[in-house]
Amino acid sequence: MADPSGPAGLRPLLGRVLALWRPRAGWLWAGGLVAVVAALSGVALLALAGQGVAAVATDDRAALLAGTAALLLLRPLALLRPLARYAERLVTHAATFRALADTRLWFFRRLAERLPAGIGLRRSGDLLGRLVTDVESLDGLYLRALVPAAAALAVLLAVALALGALSPLLALLVALPLAVALLLPVLIAPGAVRAGDRVAGTQGELRAAVVDPLLGLEDTLAANAEGRAVARVAAAGERLARAQRRLSRRAAWGGAAGLLLTQLALLGALGWGLLWAPGHGAAAEAGGTHAGLAAAVLALFLAVAAAETFGGLPRAGAALAAAAAGARRLFEAADSTPPVAEPTEPAALPPGNALRLRGVRFAWPSERGPSGWGPSEGEAAGRGAPDRAPVLDGLDLDLPEGGRVALLGPSGAGKSSLAALLLKLAAPQGGSITLGGVDLAALPAAAVRQRIACLTQDARLFDDTIAANLRLADPDADEAALWRALDRARIGDLVRALPEGLGTRCGEAGARFSGGQARRLALARTLLSPAPVLILDEPAAGLDADTERAFLETLDEATSGRSVLLIVHRLVGVERPTRILRLIGGRAIPAAG
Amino acid sequence: MPGRDPRDAFPGHVPPRAAAPRSRKRGDNGVDRAAMRRRSVPRSATPDTAGDAAARALLAREGRAGRRRQAAPVLLGLAAALCGIAQAWLIARLLAALLAPLLGNPAGAAGWPELLGAALLALLQAGLGVAQDRAQLAAGIAARARLRGAVFARLLADGPADERPVGERATLAVDRVEALDGYFARYRPAAALALLVPALVAAAAALADPVSGAALAVAGLLVPVALALTGIGAAQASARQFEALQRLSGRFLDRMRGLPTLVLFNRQEAEAGSLGRAATELRLRTMRVLRVAFLSGVAQELLAALALVCLAIHHGAEFRAGGGDLAAALFTLLLVPAFFAPLRAFSAAYQERLAARGAAAALAPLLDAPVEAGGLVLEEVPPRVVLSVQDVHLRYDPARPPALDGVSFRVMPGETLVLAGPSGSGKTSLLRVLLGFRRPDSGRIAINGKDATLLAPAELRRLSSYVGQRAHLFRDTLRANIRLARPEATDAEVEAAAEAARVMEFAAALPAGLDTLVGEGGYGLSGGQAQRVAIARAFLRDAPLLLLDEPTAHLDPGTEAEVLESLRRLCLGRTAIVATHSRAARATLGRVLELSAGRVVPVARAAG
Repeated sequence: MADPSGPAGLRPLLGRVLALWRPRAGWLWAGGLVAVVAALSGVALLALAGQGVAAVATDDRAALLAGTAALLLLRPLALLRPLARYAERLVTHAATFRALADTRLWFFRRLAERLPAGIGLRRSGDLLGRLVTDVESLDGLYLRALVPAAAALAVLLAVALALGALSPLLALLVALPLAVALLLPVLIAPGAVRAGDRVAGTQGELRAAVVDPLLGLEDTLAANAEGRAVARVAAAGERLARAQRRLSRRAAWGGAAGLLLTQLALLGALGWGLLWAPGHGAAAEAGGTHAGLAAAVLALFLAVAAAETFGGLPRAGAALAAAAAGARRLFEAADSTPPVAEPTEPAALPPGNALRLRGVRFAWPSERGPSGWGPSEGEAAGRGAPDRAPVLDGLDLDLPEGGRVALLGPSGAGKSSLAALLLKLAAPQGGSITLGGVDLAALPAAAVRQRIACLTQDARLFDDTIAANLRLADPDADEAALWRALDRARIGDLVRALPEGLGTRCGEAGARFSGGQARRLALARTLLSPAPVLILDEPAAGLDADTERAFLETLDEATSGRSVLLIVHRLVGVERPTRILRLIGGRAIPAAG
Repeated sequence: MPGRDPRDAFPGHVPPRAAAPRSRKRGDNGVDRAAMRRRSVPRSATPDTAGDAAARALLAREGRAGRRRQAAPVLLGLAAALCGIAQAWLIARLLAALLAPLLGNPAGAAGWPELLGAALLALLQAGLGVAQDRAQLAAGIAARARLRGAVFARLLADGPADERPVGERATLAVDRVEALDGYFARYRPAAALALLVPALVAAAAALADPVSGAALAVAGLLVPVALALTGIGAAQASARQFEALQRLSGRFLDRMRGLPTLVLFNRQEAEAGSLGRAATELRLRTMRVLRVAFLSGVAQELLAALALVCLAIHHGAEFRAGGGDLAAALFTLLLVPAFFAPLRAFSAAYQERLAARGAAAALAPLLDAPVEAGGLVLEEVPPRVVLSVQDVHLRYDPARPPALDGVSFRVMPGETLVLAGPSGSGKTSLLRVLLGFRRPDSGRIAINGKDATLLAPAELRRLSSYVGQRAHLFRDTLRANIRLARPEATDAEVEAAAEAARVMEFAAALPAGLDTLVGEGGYGLSGGQAQRVAIARAFLRDAPLLLLDEPTAHLDPGTEAEVLESLRRLCLGRTAIVATHSRAARATLGRVLELSAGRVVPVARAAG
C-alpha cells in the first residue's frame, strides 16, 4: 500500500484526474450549471413560501399582496424544481460516465504503452480491479463533491445576499454553519485518505483473490486447492469489510456533522427571532419590528431549503478520499516506466532489414517491488529480487536480408530474451543492435514491430473468432490470405472441417482448441504478417513429429524469401538454415550443421 | 477488427450466425444467453419471467437469512424519525409564539427552553444517524460475505466446463455481489422506513390537523403508483447494464493478459477502439437504468412540492377566514420534509434494488443450479490404483466431431501408459475426463473396479497428480507454487520435489532461489522452466494416479532426458498416463496407446 501523503497528495491527484477529463469539460460544466439552477430553484421555492407565511402573519396590506403573489408564484416553481433536479441528475451522470469511459480507455492505452512485454509481476485481477472499481470511484469526485459543492456555493451566496440585505447578523448566523459544512469535505478528506486507500487496496486484493484461482483453474482443482482459494477470498472480503467500515465511519460522522450544521443554521434563525421579534426579548423595547420577524421567518425557510443541499455535503469528504485512492492506484499502474523509452528524435526508416547484433549484454531488470508497485496488504514486504544475472553477455549475431538463422540452446539460455530485445520489449544494457544499419534504439517501436513479426512462446489467442485472431497480424488480409496462412501452419484442414470455419471462436487463450492446434493458429497468424523479418520461437512446440517435420520442410515456401530467425531446442534436419548458432553462456557460437 | 460480441463464446451454444443479422443479435442475445445459463429453469417458461422469479427468490432468501441484522437500521431510523417529529413540534410552538402578537393574540410562552430542546433533539438525531449507518453497513457486509462465498465456490466447482472468460466470471463474484450490498444495506431498510415513517408522520399531522394529515396520506399513497409506473422495464434495463459491465471486464482481462501479442502486432490502438465501444455500451446501458430510476425521484419531488403547496394554501385560507391553530398549521408544514425524506431515501435506494435485481438474475442460475450428482467421498486415498476406461465418449460441441469416440483401455499399478497421436486427437480430453473436469457423455471409468463417476469430482482429483499442458503458475514464489500440490509439505519435501523436477538447476541461479517471485503465468521463467515447476508439483503431490499432459513439450533434449529420467522414477509403483509427442518419452516410459480423432488406433502399429 502506498503511504498516504496527506492533503498535499490529494490535490495533485484529483487535479490530474480533472486534467484527464478536460475533453469532457463542456459536459461537466453543464452538469454543474444545471445543479446550481436546481438548487437555487429549491431555495427560491422555500423563500417564497416563507414570504407568504410572513405576509399572512402581518397586517400590512402591501406585504399581504406580495405574499399572495408569492403563493401564486409557488406553483410554477414547484414544477420547475423537480424538473431541474431531474435534468441535473441526468446531465451530471451522463457527464460522469463519459469521463469514466474515457478514463478506462486512457488506462488501457497507457498499459499497452507501458507494459508491452506483459504485466510481469503484477496481477491481472488487480489490474482489472483498477479498470473497473478504481475508475468507478472517481465518480465521487464529480458527482458527490464538485457538483454538490458548486450548488452549495450558489445557495450559500443566495442566502447570504438575501439575509444580508435584511440583517448582517442574521446572515452570519445562518450562513456561517453552512459555510463550515461547505468546507468540511476538504477538511475531512485528508484524514480519510488512509481509510480510502485501504478500501481501494483491499478491493483490488479481493478481485485478485477471485481472479487468480480462476486463471489457473485446472491447476487449482487438480491440487484440491478449492478450499484454500475460498478461504482466501473470504479473508480478502473480511479485510475489505473492515476497511469499508473504517471509511464509512468517517462518512457517518460527516453525515452527522452535516445534520448538526444545518440544524445550527435553522436554530440560529429561530434564536435570532426570539431575540428580535416583538413581544420577545430585546426587540420588545425597540417597538418590535414586523420586519425583523419577517426576516427571521425568511431565514428559517432559507435554512430549511439549504438543509437539503448542505446536509449531505460533509459526507463528500469520504467520497473525495475514495476518489483520491482510486486515482492513486490508477496512476500508479498507468505510470509504470516503459521498458524501452521511445526515441526523442526517431531516425528515418532504413530501406534494408538486415539485423546485426554486436557485443550485446542483457540482464532482466528486477521488479521494483513484489507486486510491481510495492507490497500489498497481507503480503510480506521485501521479497523484491536484486538484479538478475546477465542472460546475454557479448552476443554477436547476424541475420542478413533473406537469411535463415537457426538458434539453438537449452531452455532458459536467453533465446526468448533475444527475441524481446529485437522487438524492443527490452533494451540491452550493452552492445548494439541495428536494423538495416540503423540503431534499433533510434527507431520507433511501432516501426520496428512492423518490420519484425514474432511468434513468441506465450503468443496468445483471444476470445474472438479465428479470422479476427489472424487479422491481428494483417487487418486487411482477405479470406484467401487467411486460408493460405492456415494451410502453411498445417491447420487449414482442421479449420475447414469446423462448421463455422473462420468464424469459430477460439475461447480465452484458445481454450476451445487443443494445445497444439492453438499453437498452430498462432503460427498462422505470424505467417500472415507482412513483416519482412520473422522470428519463430519454437514454432513446432506441441506439434507431433510428423507435422513438425512437414512444417519445417515447407518453411521456405511459408516464409517466402523473408529473413527468419528460428529459435529451437534442436534441429530435425530438414530446416536448411543458412547458419546454425548455439546460445551458450550468453553468446552465440557457430555450431556444426 | 469488428467489435465482436464475446457473448457468442458460450459453450455449446452455436448461434445461427448466418440467419441472425448482427444488429438484431446484439439486442436479443442478452436474453438468449441468460436463458442458456438458467440451467435449472424449465425451458417452457419465458426467459424474463423465469429469470425475474429466480432473482426475486434469491433476494428473498438472502433477505430472510439476514433479517435480524436488517431490523436494527429500521428501528434506529424510526427512532430518528420520532426525534424529527418532536423537534418539528417544538419549533412549531416556538414559531407560533413568535408570530402570535402579530395576529393580535397574546405573546406565547414558548421560547428558549423549546430552542434548547430542539437542539438536543438534533444531537440525538445525529447520533442515531451514525448508529443507523453502522447497522446498515453491517447488514450489507454479512449478506455479501455469504453470497460471495457461495458464488465463488460454485464457480470453482463448475470448473473449466464454464467457458465464460475469467474476467466475466470474476465479475459475478465481485461486482455483482457488491451490487447486492446496496439492496441489503440500503434498499431493504429504506423500504421498511418508507412505509413506517410516513405513516407515523401522517398520524402526527392528523392529530394536529386532520385535513393536513389526510392530505399527506393521499400524497403518500400516490408514491407507490408513481414508482410502479416508472419502474416497469427498469429491472431488465439494469440486467443489461450488468451484462455490459461483465462483457467489458471479460474483454479487458482477456486482452490485458495477451498484451504483448497485441503490442507486437501494433494492434493496441484498434483494441482500444473495441474496448471503447464496450465502455460506451456500458455507459449507455447505465444511463438507461438511471433515466428510469431518476424519474421516480422526480415523481416524488413533485408530490412533495404539491403537498407543501396544498398545505400552505389550506392553512392560508383558514387564517384568512380567521380561524386555525397557528402552531398546528406550522407543525404540519414542518412535517412535510419529514414525511417525504424516507420516501426520497427509498427512491434513491430504488436504483439499488434495480441493480440488485439485475445482479441476482445473473447469480440465481449459478447458485440455483443443482449440484452435480455423485457426491461420494473417498474414505482414504488407496495406495494403488487400477484404472479401467471403457467405451468413453465425449463431445464438447454438437456441431464438431467428438473429442472421444469410444476409448477403452486399462492401466495397472506400476504401469505407465503413453498416450500418443496428433494434436487434437483427444489426449487432453481423456485426461480431463479422468480428472473430473468433464463428465463423459457415456462409457465407464472404474477405479479399482468401482465406478469413478459416482465420486465427487474433487474426490476423483484427490487420487491423482496432474501436470497440464498449460500449467499455470501463480504470482507467488516458486516454493509456494510447488507447494500448491500439497500445502502441508515441509520445506525439505518441497526442495526434494524441486530437485527431482530439475527446478533447482535454474532456481539456484536466481537471486532468491526457490523464494524468487514469479509472475502470473510464469513470467520471469522460460517455458521449459515453468514446465519443470509444474512437474515438481506432481513430485510433491505423491498421489497413486499420475496424469501428465505433454510434460516435456518445452524442454531441450538434454533437460528432457533428465526430466524423463526423474519422471520414470516418479512413475514407479504408480499408475501413470502420459500424453506426449516426444519420441524420447515414448521410447523410455512404457506402453503406447495411439489415439486418432478420439479413437484408439489398433495396437499392432502403435507398438512400434
